[in-house]
Amino acid sequence: MDLSERGLTAGKLVDMKWKLGVAVCSDECKSLNSPFVAMTLKVADASGKISTHTFELTIPQFQNFSEQMKDMAARMEMI
Amino acid sequence: MIKMAAHCDFSSLELLMKASSKEKVVKVCNDVYVMGSSQSDGLLSSVCESLGTRPNETKKMIESLSSVLKTIIFHGYTEPQEIQSLFPKDFHKNLRDLITKIALDNMNTWKTHSISTQVSLPRLVDFDWRVDTKMASDSVSRTSVPTCILQMKVQENQTDVKTTPENHNINVELSKETLDTMLDGLSKIRDQLSSVARR
Repeated sequence: MDLSERGLTAGKLVDMKWKLGVAVCSDECKSLNSPFVAMTLKVADASGKISTHTFELTIPQFQNFSEQMKDMAARMEMI
Repeated sequence: MIKMAAHCDFSSLELLMKASSKEKVVKVCNDVYVMGSSQSDGLLSSVCESLGTRPNETKKMIESLSSVLKTIIFHGYTEPQEIQSLFPKDFHKNLRDLITKIALDNMNTWKTHSISTQVSLPRLVDFDWRVDTKMASDSVSRTSVPTCILQMKVQENQTDVKTTPENHNINVELSKETLDTMLDGLSKIRDQLSSVARR
């Protein structure tokens, strides 16, 4: 990660909302049954202005994300 | 939009017989399904090259093949008879059976591809993280607080058909408390996921 992107340019995470959905069908597949996670993050910049970011994760991505967040917390414990 | 196979011009599919090998037919089917919806010019030239055919006659075949394959994937047929019944009774039997086999073999791959290109919010494509110790700041001269930086790359939905969608970065700093709260939320999602999987 670029050092110049640390601290001063990263916003503070203010809120995280999530939704677990299942795609039932689409115009291409009559029967999908495909779960996904949708998240909205609220980030406050240095001036306090809040921006929101909404995105989807596939289940494998979510599991990877979840594992790595746990890793991150474990590292923080070690400091 | 899927033009259902009932309206498909099956005779144009016979162009596939010009393929010099079964592998070429497999390649054509794969290219048509995967590239078909993105309206790329690359598809026509790739298929012409695989079959050694001219663009004019190939266009019609691609349209028909795309319609048949999309119908099969839409319904998620698992039995050969279900697919074979889409074809007219006088259709070339070997070609019919080859297309049936190719569709069944590729069903899961194509369904996964369809899921990855379906209607969606912007997608998380990558993320990086780092744990730091804050040693000082403009307000505190000596400190030792662990903090983490998370960078997420989100790919927007395509707005212009011809250009790859943009990625944008979300950079956030999380304190231990914020991270713990986030982990709580993530574990709730995991719990819900297992109960969805069990149903």
